Amino acid sequence: MYKQIEAIIENIEKVMIGKREVAELSVIALLSGGHVLLEDVPGVGKTMMVKALAKSVGAEFKRIQFTPDLLPTDVIGVSIYNPKTLQFEFRPGPIVGNIILADEINRTSPKTQSALLESMEEASVTIDGKTLNIQKPFFVMATQNPIEYEGTYPLPEAQLDRFLLKIKMGYPNAHEEIEVLRRSERSEPIMDLTPVISLDELLALQDQVRNVYVDDSVKSYIVQLARATRTVSEIYLGVSPRASIALMKASQAYAKMQDRDFVKPDDVQYLAPFVFAHRIILKPEARYEGVTTEELINRIISKSVIPIKRYAEQ
Amino acid sequence: MKKNTFNLVELGLYYVLIFFILREWLVPVMELTGTGYLELILFFIALALALSLFRVHFAIAFLIKFFYISWFIVHVYSKQSVFTPAGIQFLLSEFQYNIGITLRADWVQVTDAFRTFLFLILIWMLIYLIHHWITVRMTIFYFLVLTVFFIGTLDTFTEYDGTYAIIKIILLGLVMTAFLFLKRLFTQAGVELNWMKYIKLVFPVILLIGLTSIVAIYLPKSAPQWPDPVPFLKAATGQGGEGELSNGVGKVGYGDNDSRLGGAFVADDTVVLLAESETKQYWRIETKDVYTSKGWENSTYYSGSSTVYGPGDLIQHSLPSGPEEDTKLATIHMLYPYEFIVQPYGLKSISQTSEAMQFFMNDNSEKIVPVMNNNTIQLNNYSLEYSKPVYLYSDLKSSNLENLDPYLVDRYLQLPETLPNRVVELAQDVVAGKESVYDQARAIEMYFRQNGFRYDTDDVAIPSEEQDYVDQFLFETKVGYCDNFSTSMVVMLRSVGIPARWVKGFAGGELIRTNGDMKNFEVTNNDAHSWVEAFIPNVGWINFEPTIGFNNSRSIDYDFETDDEREEELSVDEETEPDEVVKEQEETQKQNTSQNNLFTAIFNSIKQHKWIYVISLLILVGGAAIVYVKRKSWLPKVYLKMSKRKQYGESSFELMYMQLLKVLEMKGLKRKEGQTLITFAKEVDAYYETNHMSKITVAYEQYLYGGRSTKIDMNQMKESWEYLINRTTS
Repeated sequence: MYKQIEAIIENIEKVMIGKREVAELSVIALLSGGHVLLEDVPGVGKTMMVKALAKSVGAEFKRIQFTPDLLPTDVIGVSIYNPKTLQFEFRPGPIVGNIILADEINRTSPKTQSALLESMEEASVTIDGKTLNIQKPFFVMATQNPIEYEGTYPLPEAQLDRFLLKIKMGYPNAHEEIEVLRRSERSEPIMDLTPVISLDELLALQDQVRNVYVDDSVKSYIVQLARATRTVSEIYLGVSPRASIALMKASQAYAKMQDRDFVKPDDVQYLAPFVFAHRIILKPEARYEGVTTEELINRIISKSVIPIKRYAEQ
Repeated sequence: MKKNTFNLVELGLYYVLIFFILREWLVPVMELTGTGYLELILFFIALALALSLFRVHFAIAFLIKFFYISWFIVHVYSKQSVFTPAGIQFLLSEFQYNIGITLRADWVQVTDAFRTFLFLILIWMLIYLIHHWITVRMTIFYFLVLTVFFIGTLDTFTEYDGTYAIIKIILLGLVMTAFLFLKRLFTQAGVELNWMKYIKLVFPVILLIGLTSIVAIYLPKSAPQWPDPVPFLKAATGQGGEGELSNGVGKVGYGDNDSRLGGAFVADDTVVLLAESETKQYWRIETKDVYTSKGWENSTYYSGSSTVYGPGDLIQHSLPSGPEEDTKLATIHMLYPYEFIVQPYGLKSISQTSEAMQFFMNDNSEKIVPVMNNNTIQLNNYSLEYSKPVYLYSDLKSSNLENLDPYLVDRYLQLPETLPNRVVELAQDVVAGKESVYDQARAIEMYFRQNGFRYDTDDVAIPSEEQDYVDQFLFETKVGYCDNFSTSMVVMLRSVGIPARWVKGFAGGELIRTNGDMKNFEVTNNDAHSWVEAFIPNVGWINFEPTIGFNNSRSIDYDFETDDEREEELSVDEETEPDEVVKEQEETQKQNTSQNNLFTAIFNSIKQHKWIYVISLLILVGGAAIVYVKRKSWLPKVYLKMSKRKQYGESSFELMYMQLLKVLEMKGLKRKEGQTLITFAKEVDAYYETNHMSKITVAYEQYLYGGRSTKIDMNQMKESWEYLINRTTS
């Protein structure tokens, strides 16, 4: 495993017990410049996860708690009239930061949601015709509670597409939970975390990830999987080419994490469910039958044809 | 694998089954060699099996068997007790004598006692082998295949009827195979034998075998789809000299046995005789009179008596001969070892230089054989005096069937009781409206020229047990050669009350040279032929030729003018080559399309040697199948050899890896399409308890997905590769 990345993950693991995969996936998203949608019930450590990640890379951490009455300006910022200068002055909102936790985004109105998602996609905010680029690294981790639907505004698929990965936290097992209790007994462990890499190093790492080699054979494999989602009978809407790009980028980060400078189909296979699952809409009848998108993706993977010969150069 | 987990009961059960299978080996051997003492030999088998079953000490078992064999030999061949000095003396002398003969390789002289001795030793060894198959290999497949093959061969080539033996062997073999399969499963899984479980598993299998067998036995079965290969094999190996065997593909030519007609023929260009005569004519050999619904046999009239003629004697023949002044001479030069005289129509005498020569004419069949010093011989050169019979047209036209000689009625109107009525009805239809007997006969002769009949030597059916040869030809196949046509005509003639008989001989052959008035004809086995003679009252026997493509001349003196018959009669052109229509067609085809010559030749060759091609093809396909099935064992070696021969560079890394995947797949380690290489490699490594596959795979992935610039240590790869390939073969 690549040293610096391993350091980040181990640092996170100090506070997150038994959540190595979530930590890894979060780091992958961070490294490939994408955003993460965390889906799980409250109290399993979503906030802790993001905080620990932010602390490990020495990034600024901001949190937006989404409520139904939250306005887009509360997210992206607002221009305020300054009587001193007799001018409107731009006050950036909480979105302008490095690592942002957007908590329970499905609680807020679609207007606010789209403001958030737009700035996520563009990595900039625009107020009164003025565009402010958000500094890199920019990483949003949004959470949503899949249990409560009362008074929520489920994110439309087009919006979900903007998240690189969707990760489920899941409960810790009994041992892990005891360990969680033990660590929280006296102090907040998060307070003791120190950064393991600097922001500059993180940016350099992101650069390296972009340079991880993706062979045409692997690209074709990614496309093969993406196209397969569009033909499965249980699927109403398959993934977009944006999803293929996302899968490739995430695979690059995953390869880098394993200290490899090229992407293998293994990487693609591992990440495909995390990248594709939230971008697929099942047909209602499939949903009633209890088919999950993850199952379908795994089926697609098992039926896919791994390239085992050198890609013919055209 | 655990060893010797067989317990006594189980092994005993297998041995009982084996005993019954071995019994099926012995029965035909006894039956065919005429050897008695089946029980004693069976007892020997039982003894050997029992000794093997109870794991009697080798030396003791040896002694017991040895004593039994000694007792057996002395008891059977000298009728003395083995315990008396005389018995021992007999044994020793037999042994001494036969060893000497064996050393001289003088196999014929070996005595029966010694043969039996060797046979028992063979059984002894076979039981050792079976014991090994059962206890170590736990499969008796080879033994079963061998048994089935053995019985099958005997059934095909000898008198022995193996129908039930085969069924018994298959049943016993299937049960045995099921037992041993379970045994193998238990042993390989290392599961201790549990009788309840065992019975639970075995019972349904036995039930199933029993049920399927019963169903199979009672299901209707179609007749053999392929003709019997034996006649072909015999013909191909040159043992078929006297030609037509009972059924199946025969070789064309003259043969004695016509009791079962039908089946395809293989052409044979062997020259039988050279004839020098003025005209082309049929050469008659013999007649047959009893139709059996399957073929022809001779009646018992004259009970085998013959009339003897010397050279030059006037031969009394049932056929009329022509006027004295038309007497002609034909010279025959036999080239094929047939022991008969061919007869032209109107034969008067046979001349031969040797006065001691006699000619025996069988009174029943009119077959003439040359005899010298009471031995039938083959006469190579002789000449025949004959005068072709001429029939008066007026006589023929006025013929009727009143006041037939009872002898003729009895002998030449015979028909089998099983003859289907529709044959008779057809014959009556055909002759309806024809008044004279001759006209009726001609109507039947001409019937085959129309009505969709076809001449063919290949695609000819053999009647089944219940079928009538003639009925099958007339109503079902309508395809056949001379035997079909001639037999059908005889039967139809007899059906309408015209006495008729079946004639065998040779057609005129091919004109090869003209020498003044005389012409030389070459008659080959292909010219072997059969035709019809009918008895026309007041006229006598007259020949008819119903076979399509053949013409036989009969001289008719048109002593009064007629406007209906004559034209038709004339159209029977005497000079037309009496040859197979097929050949003629082929010839015209050749002339028309010279371009197709090669293809025609190839096609003809294939058609003629169909069986050779079919068998070669089967052998080829079979061989290829075996090679393919066995590729698991030879392909890795080939790959290894290939790699040794050429230096594998990085460019062949892909090839090597693909070979490896293929070899592993044959070993049952198949990568699923969606499975990544490294996960598969881990499975392989886990199976072989190594890490070579992962090593190669990591490098291969690098080569495959890591861009073009990657360097691979090919030597190390080759080492791992060879290791893995070797592991798959071991």
